[in-house]
Amino acid sequence: MGTYIARRLLLMIPTLIGITFLVFMLVALSPGGVGAALMVSGGGQMEAQSRAIQQAYLEDRYGLNDPAVVQYVRWLGRISPIKFGVRDQVAPDGERFRPPKDVEPPPAWSLFDAQPPPPPPSVPPVTGTQEERQRAYRRASNDYAGSRGRLIEARLRLERTLVEFARGSGRKDLVTRDGKLVPGAFEHEKPTMTQEQWAQVGPAGEAAVAAYKQAIIDRARLAKAFESRPFEEAGVPIIPGVLSLAAPDFGRSFTRSRPVLDLIMDHLPVTITLNLIAFPIIYMIAIPSGMLAATRRGSMFDAVSGTVFIALYSVPVVLAGVLAIGYLASNQYLGWFPAAGLHDTLAERMTFLPSTGPDGVWVRGYLLDGIWHMVLPVTCLVYAGFAVLSKQTRAAMLDNFNADYVRTAKAKGVPARDIVLRHVFRNSLLPLITIFTTIFPAMLAGSVVVERIFTVPGMGSLLLDAISLRDREVILANTLMIGVVNLLALLMADILYALADPRVSYE
Amino acid sequence: MTIAAPTAATAAAPVATRPLMRVQDLAVSFDNGAGPRIQAVDGVRMSIYPRQTLAVVGESGCGKSVTAMSALQLVPRPPGRVDRGRVLFRTKADPDRDVDLLSLTDRQMRDIRGNEIAMIFQEPMTSLNPVYTVGDQIMEAILLHQQVSPAYAREIALTAMRDVGIPEPERRITGYPHQFSGGMRQRVMIAMALACQPSLLLADEPTTALDVTIQAQILELLRELQRTRDMGIMLITHALGVVAENADVVCVMYAGRVVEYATVLELFDNPLHPYTRGLLASIPRIGTRKDRLVTIRDVVESPEEFTRLPGAAEGVRPWWPWHQPPADLARRTGPAGDFDLREVTPGHWVGLWRTAAVREQESRAPDLDYRREAPA
Repeated sequence: MGTYIARRLLLMIPTLIGITFLVFMLVALSPGGVGAALMVSGGGQMEAQSRAIQQAYLEDRYGLNDPAVVQYVRWLGRISPIKFGVRDQVAPDGERFRPPKDVEPPPAWSLFDAQPPPPPPSVPPVTGTQEERQRAYRRASNDYAGSRGRLIEARLRLERTLVEFARGSGRKDLVTRDGKLVPGAFEHEKPTMTQEQWAQVGPAGEAAVAAYKQAIIDRARLAKAFESRPFEEAGVPIIPGVLSLAAPDFGRSFTRSRPVLDLIMDHLPVTITLNLIAFPIIYMIAIPSGMLAATRRGSMFDAVSGTVFIALYSVPVVLAGVLAIGYLASNQYLGWFPAAGLHDTLAERMTFLPSTGPDGVWVRGYLLDGIWHMVLPVTCLVYAGFAVLSKQTRAAMLDNFNADYVRTAKAKGVPARDIVLRHVFRNSLLPLITIFTTIFPAMLAGSVVVERIFTVPGMGSLLLDAISLRDREVILANTLMIGVVNLLALLMADILYALADPRVSYE
Repeated sequence: MTIAAPTAATAAAPVATRPLMRVQDLAVSFDNGAGPRIQAVDGVRMSIYPRQTLAVVGESGCGKSVTAMSALQLVPRPPGRVDRGRVLFRTKADPDRDVDLLSLTDRQMRDIRGNEIAMIFQEPMTSLNPVYTVGDQIMEAILLHQQVSPAYAREIALTAMRDVGIPEPERRITGYPHQFSGGMRQRVMIAMALACQPSLLLADEPTTALDVTIQAQILELLRELQRTRDMGIMLITHALGVVAENADVVCVMYAGRVVEYATVLELFDNPLHPYTRGLLASIPRIGTRKDRLVTIRDVVESPEEFTRLPGAAEGVRPWWPWHQPPADLARRTGPAGDFDLREVTPGHWVGLWRTAAVREQESRAPDLDYRREAPA
């Protein structure tokens, strides 16, 4: 069994890589891309010029201008607990630092500067206490962010003028179809320019060269500051400088500027709470009623429970949720339950248990307030779940009622109740375990529709928002988590099979 | 002499010679959806004595198993239904008085099942619950019927397993059914059936699914256990070889009726019903060379086969469902009204058409206190 589990766990790794690769490519290749969505959230009112600059800046910052496969491999490197190369550094609040990225010189360098692009200057190492080194690092980091931003802007302007020049002078071969400069253009040939043309291109090029020179100085300073280890290094080294083990880094949300892990930790408890209430209700109603329906096959109970469950199953949760809010939560009708959220706005000031306040007014308390808010979402999560489970239980039980060993048990004098519970139900567990594996991951993924309707800040809401904003890090972390939970649930089902049925063995 | 004279009622006989179980005029039918009810068993009579093996023989669907299952009220109801009859059984608790098993409540029946009457089934592969150890399943019966501690029940189970010849019972008791071979599973079934020392064992084709050597071992085991425990066995089978070797009394069934009932030697030496003759004739014999075996049909389709009973001249005819009933049929009301099981020669019962000649004679119910071997 141990080897089997170990093998299954190892097999999970390629499966997860496959899942995340697929999702990553879908996100990366979807029209508009991550940058466009960021732009929408960043400011639709901006001019085209500054919008392009911001997009270039964001793409540079998140590495979106690399090919999708490179981005994926980089993401995989962050997720993987086995890291290669220089170790990350982590601030006490969980913020991660990496060595600064390389700077690329602007195009057509030789047009504007006789010297080739200078090598990175040597900078004195940073010394002092850790606090001083941290301050130095932050300062260098800010400077480099600024100069890199200016370089991006300058390069963008330069590229645009070069493209205009190439078009104007009939050099269409130097422009790509989507209006960008062909890589390596103007490197080896010096085009003749009129005074007018140079007035356009020259200043832009000189600005770009200046910005580049500043950027490599700032980068060198930042690299030195990083080398001085202002923060703790992450993980444990295996081969220093080459291989180390560290916790996976899920990155920061593009749109919320918070670590993805924090976001998940905010939303996960909500979903788990809802489902920890909902699923026991489903199981405790569906399984006994399925058993009873099987024992009294063809009875009134069998017919009525089957009909009611199927009828409930047939009501779309969208409709049910809206109707529940409209009739039960709206003050114009019954208004028994709150329409949205998980707590009253005043809940933070309530006592935990119900109590009578100093002025003699009864306060329902934090606990009761939570339950009161959860009634409608939980109902909507639960009502459709009975049908499948109870029908499966019933079918599995009926299969086993006709089994030979049931006849043997009867011939031994086993009472009918024990036959149902000990012999038939025990043998009907396998299909129920199978259903469990499909339900369990849904527990963590959250029910998108229900959370949307009742404005519950759970995992479903988080994922839906992330998808609509193409918040890649959140989507990928969610995908990875759902994938892991799914695979673990499958593994758990296989282990449960072996426990429930001694004929199943993985030796 | 045509038909044996009636003898004294068996109820007056002393306890030791009274039958363990008597099936009286049993009729069981099954619901067939839109069609007419299927009469699985009709007018069946038989009796079993302690330490006696009654073999019930017949082709598939002739009502052998339904008869045995009815005795334990194991016929699923619905679709099954007991139309008529009684199954009288001498319980251990009150040996002087017979109880009618068909009239018992579910609660009372549970005390009989496994405790007084045990049953083993044809399919050892599926008759054990796959998710419990064989020890659990043997002990379940013991704990249900005997007020003993689980530890002591385990001892009883180990003894039972040892008695049925399972090697290393201490190790095998924690095994699951799928870890046992077919023969060993049937031994487990027998151990489970016999753990509570029942006085009657209903063995429903216990060896059909096993190969011949295992079959012989299991039957030898059953005979051995029968000798040491004074147990009656109803052995349901369609293997005539098994019958010849194991049975004391044979009951041949066809289409839900008992067509012949006699001691094993009498039946093989002097089969009276054409169907029985057909059965016996269809067995190939070693040493004779034949291109084609005799079939039952060869026998039962020749009219002269049906006119060889004593009293044939007066109209005594063997019952056969495919024949036109005789002209002087004196029908009783009820489904089996055209049929009677009559003692044609002493100790030999044959299923007859209830013609006028048959009706005038009295006959006792089939009852043979006969064993091939003297008591040990």
